[in-house]
Amino acid sequence: MPDTVNPENTPIVATGYANKPVVLTVSKDKFYETARSLRYGEELPDAEIHIPAEKYDYLIDVVGMDYGDSLGVIYYLSPSAQPEKVLALKTSTPEREQPELFSVQDLWESASVYEREVYDFFGIRFINHPDMRRIFLRADWKGFPLRKDYDADPAVNPVPLENELIADMERVPSVSIKMGDRVETISQLFEEDDYVVNFGPQHPAMHGVLHLRIALNGEIIKKIDPVFGYIHRGIEKMCESDTYPQILHLADRLDYLSGTMNRHAVCLCCEKALELEVPERAHYIRTIFDELTRIASHLLGWGCMCMDMGSITAFVYGMRDREKIMDVFEETAGGRLMANYNVIGGVAQDIHPNFQRRVKEMIPYIRKMLKEHHLLFTGNPIARGRMKNIGYMSREQAVSLGATGPSGRASGWHNDVRKIEPYAAYGKADFQEVLRTEGQTFDRYIIRLDEIEQSLRIIEQLIDNIPEGAYAAKTKAVIRLPEGEFFQRVENARGQFCVHITSKGDKSPYRVKFRSPSLTLVGALKAMATGAKVADLIMMGASLDDVIPCIDR
Amino acid sequence: MKIFRYFKDIFLGIYHLLQGMYIAFLNMVRSKITEKYPENRLKKVKMERFRGLLTMPHNAQNEHKCTACGICGINCPNGTIQVISKKVTDETGKEKRVLDRYLYDIGSCTFCALCTISCPQGAIDWSPEFEHTVFTRSKLVKQLNREGSSLEVKPKINNI
Amino acid sequence: MFSFSDLTHWIDSSLRLWMNDGWTLFVEFVLIGVMILVSYAVLALILILVERKVCAWMQCRLGPNRVGPWGLFQTGADMIKILLKEIVNINRSDKFLFRLASFIVILGSVLTFGALPFAKGLQVIDFNIGVFYLLAVSSLGVVGILLAGWASNSKYTMIGAMRSGAQLISYELSCGLALLSIVVLSGTMQLSEIVEQQSEMWFIFKGHVPAFIAFVIYMIAGHAETNRGPFDLPEAESELTAGYHTEYSGIQFGFFYLAEYMNMFIIAAIASTMFLGGWMPLHIPGWEGFNGAMDYIPSVVWFLAKTGFCIFMQLWVRWSFPRLRIDQLLRLEWKILMPVCLFNILLMALVVIL
Repeated sequence: MPDTVNPENTPIVATGYANKPVVLTVSKDKFYETARSLRYGEELPDAEIHIPAEKYDYLIDVVGMDYGDSLGVIYYLSPSAQPEKVLALKTSTPEREQPELFSVQDLWESASVYEREVYDFFGIRFINHPDMRRIFLRADWKGFPLRKDYDADPAVNPVPLENELIADMERVPSVSIKMGDRVETISQLFEEDDYVVNFGPQHPAMHGVLHLRIALNGEIIKKIDPVFGYIHRGIEKMCESDTYPQILHLADRLDYLSGTMNRHAVCLCCEKALELEVPERAHYIRTIFDELTRIASHLLGWGCMCMDMGSITAFVYGMRDREKIMDVFEETAGGRLMANYNVIGGVAQDIHPNFQRRVKEMIPYIRKMLKEHHLLFTGNPIARGRMKNIGYMSREQAVSLGATGPSGRASGWHNDVRKIEPYAAYGKADFQEVLRTEGQTFDRYIIRLDEIEQSLRIIEQLIDNIPEGAYAAKTKAVIRLPEGEFFQRVENARGQFCVHITSKGDKSPYRVKFRSPSLTLVGALKAMATGAKVADLIMMGASLDDVIPCIDR
Repeated sequence: MKIFRYFKDIFLGIYHLLQGMYIAFLNMVRSKITEKYPENRLKKVKMERFRGLLTMPHNAQNEHKCTACGICGINCPNGTIQVISKKVTDETGKEKRVLDRYLYDIGSCTFCALCTISCPQGAIDWSPEFEHTVFTRSKLVKQLNREGSSLEVKPKINNI
Repeated sequence: MFSFSDLTHWIDSSLRLWMNDGWTLFVEFVLIGVMILVSYAVLALILILVERKVCAWMQCRLGPNRVGPWGLFQTGADMIKILLKEIVNINRSDKFLFRLASFIVILGSVLTFGALPFAKGLQVIDFNIGVFYLLAVSSLGVVGILLAGWASNSKYTMIGAMRSGAQLISYELSCGLALLSIVVLSGTMQLSEIVEQQSEMWFIFKGHVPAFIAFVIYMIAGHAETNRGPFDLPEAESELTAGYHTEYSGIQFGFFYLAEYMNMFIIAAIASTMFLGGWMPLHIPGWEGFNGAMDYIPSVVWFLAKTGFCIFMQLWVRWSFPRLRIDQLLRLEWKILMPVCLFNILLMALVVIL
C-alpha cells in the first residue's frame, strides 16, 4: 500500500495505526467526485490513483486548515467494514476573500455539522450545504477566529451586551449551484405558525447548555434545531498559543466526564510524534485509569438517564457509586474530576501505595451495585416501556451520522478503538466489545451497564500485573513536536475522541483539532427525534449521553 | 393467546415494580452516605496528594527553596503565578536575585500541576487544604513566601 | 371510646348560653374555618418534611438536618421564605385568571379536606352523599391547573396543563369506580356510616379480594390524581421544567405546592376511611379482650396512623419509579385499570349477594 498517493504532499505520520493512513490530495474541482467515489467504493475519477476499493462510509472528522497561502480542509475517512483503515482526503482553495468548496453533507450526514464548524472558524463556505449558519459563534461575530490573519483585538468583537436576536438564529443562508449559476439564498428555519419551544440552554434535561429549538405538533416533534456555542471557549484557538504540556489540561476540560481519556489521546499523539518510548508501567496505569473513568462516566450516564425519566433516586445511586472511583482518583492523581494524571511520556506520579487495594475493593462493590441497578431500573416495566421501540437508529444511519461509542455499538457498528487498534495496554487484556443489534434507546441504555462490566474485567486483569519500572519516560524541558501532521484516536466514554495536530516544529502547535464524539451524537439526536414525542426526545438525548463542553470546545 | 399475554404482562410488571421498591427500601435501611461537613472537618481524612492549594514549604528557620527563576510562572497556562524578585548585594559584593514576593492567584488556577512538576528546586508543593472561600476576589491572590523568609542555603556536598 | 362530638356539643351549648343562635353559628363557622386552615397548613408542613426525609433515606442521604434538631424546623423556615418572596408578574399573561388559578387549586383541596372524618365525632359536615361530594370537589383542582397553564401564556405550562387535563379526567374514572365498589359493599355514601360499618372488620378484609383490588386501584389512580411521580407528567421536570406552574412564584407557587401535598394526604385519608376503617380501631370478631385494648388507642391516632401508612406507600412508589409517557399513562388507565375496575364492581356485587 502506498504511504502517500500524492508525492508533493507531506505524509501524515501514522499514529497508533497498524498502517499509515493514506493521504489523498485532490484539487477543488475534482473533490466532490473523489469523495463520492470513496463513499460508495467506486473507481476514482483520477485514473492514476489506485486505492483499494472500499466503502469509506464513516467520516471520522473534518479538519479546517489555514495553510497561510490557502485555506483547506482535511476529511478523515474510514470504511466501517475495515475500521482500522484511515484515509485523509485533502483539498484546498487559494481564495481567501470568499473561499468556497463543495459540500459532502449529502454523502455523510455527519459532515453537515462539521462543515458548519469549518465555516465558523475559517469562513469556507460549502456549496450545496443547506445550512451555512455559524455554529458556535454568534451570527454577528466579525472575522473567522482560526485563520492565521484573524484580528483578535477586543475592539473588533466587543463583549456583547445585548441578547442574540432569535431572528438571527432562524435566518439560514446557503449557497448552491443551480444550472451552472451560483445562487445565494436565505431561508427561514421554521414556518410562520410553528409552535416553537425552547429546550435549553437552561433546562433540567439538557446536561449542560445545549439549546434545542423544537417545533411541536401537539406532543409530536416536527423539527429540531440544535443551537450550540453557549460554552464555547475557543479551546482549539487557545491550543495554538499554548505549549504541548499546557494543552493537556485543556483536553481534560473538553469532555469532563472522560477527561483522562481525552488527555490520553493528546499524550499518545505527542508521544508518537516524538517517537517516545513510554514505559510499560505507565501504559498499564493509564489503561486502568481510562477504564475507571469510563465506569464513572457510565454510572453517571446511567443515573442521568434515570433522572431524565423521573427517577431521581437512581441518579443518586449512580452518583454514590461514582464517588468511590472519584476517591481512588483523588488518592493517586490528586484530582477528582480533573485527574490531571497523564503527562507526555507517562503519568504524573507513581500510583499511591493504596491504589491497588482500593481498586480491588471497589470492583466487587460495583458488581453488586450493578445487580441492584438492574433490579431497580432495567426490569421496571415503566422504564422498559419508555425505552423499547423508540429512538431507532440503524447501523447505516449510525455510520453515516458518525454516532460512535456505545450509541453506535447499540446499533451493531463495531467501532471500539480499543479493539480496532489496541493502544496502551488494551491488547493485553481480554475483554469483549459489547455489540447489540436493535439500536433502540433501550439498547443504548443497557450497553452502558454491560460496558461497565467489561471495564471491570479489564481492570481486574491489569491491576495485579502492573509491571515494575519507571512510571514516565524522560522528556525534554521544552517539548517540540517535529514538523508534520499527526492524528490519534482513542475510545472515550462517548465514542471516538480524535486529536489532529499540525506542527511546524515550534513549541506550540500550528493547529489542533479535537473530534468531539458528542457533536455527532447531537446530529444523531436530530435525525432520530423528528416525529417522536417530546418525552421520547428527552430519553433519546439521555441515552446518547452527550457532554456539551465537548461539543462546544 | 393474547388474553393470556395481557395478564402475564400485568403480573410480570407488578413483580418487577415490587423488585424496584425492594431496592429502594433496602437503601432506606442502609447506612447513609451524606457527610456532615462542618462537623467532620477535623476528622475527615485528607488525601495527601490532593491538589487543593499551592504552598511553599518553609523550614524551621523560615527558609524556602525558591530561587525566583520564574519557570513555574512560564509554565502556568493561566498566568496564575507571579514571581517578583529583587536584587540584593550579598557580603561578597555580588548582586544576587532573590525572591521578593511569590504571588499566587487561586481564582484563576486550574490545578494542572505544571508549576510543581516543572519547578527545578522543588520549592512549591500542593496542600490538601480546600476551604478557599473569601469575600473579595482580591483575597484570592495569596503570597506564598512568608514575611522575612530567605533562601535555604544548601549544605555544600564535598564528597562528589 | 372518646367521641369528639361530646366536646363539640359542649362548646355549642356553652356558646348558646352567651349569645343567640345566629351569632353562635357565626362563631362556630369561624372557629371551624380557622381550625381547618390551621390544620391544613400544619399538616402540609409536616408532610413536606416527611417527604423530604423519606426520600433522602431512600437515596442514602440524611435529608434536612440543619434547622432545628433533625431539621424539624426546616419546612417552617421554608414557609417563611416563600411568604417573603416576590410575586413576579408575567407579561402578557391573563392577570386575573393567573391569580385565580392557584386559589381554585387550593379551594378544591380545602373543600375535600373539610369533609373528612378525622376521628370519632370529628367531622365538619356529614353528608349522606359524602363519597359523591368528595369525588366532586376533589376534581375541582383540574380547573385550576388548566387555568394556570392557560393564563400563564407560556408554552411549557400549556403542554403541562393539557397533559394534566387528559390525565386527571381519565384517572377520575378509576378513582370513582374503585370507591363505588365500596359503596356497593356498604350500601351507603355517608362517610360516618361507612366507618361505623367497619367496626367489626375493615372493608379491605370484609370485602375479600375485590376490596383489595379496589384498594390497590384507588391508590394508583389517586396517586395519579395528585400529579406526583410516576404520574407527574403535567410538571415533568425533565421535559417541561415545571409544567403548569412554571411561571408561578412566591406564595402563588406555594399554593400549588401546598395543594399537591394536601392532595396526597386527602387521597391517603380517603383510602384509609373507605378501606382501612378510618378512625375505627382494628377489631377482630371474637377477640373481645383484644378489641377492648384496641379501643383504648384514641381514634384520631388510628386515623393518622392509617393515613400515614398510605402516605408512606405513595412516597415509596414516587421515589422508586420513573415517569410514564402520556400514551402509556392513558393506556394504563383505559386498558388496564378501567376494565379491571368494572370487573371488580361486578365481583363485589357477587360478594355482596352471596
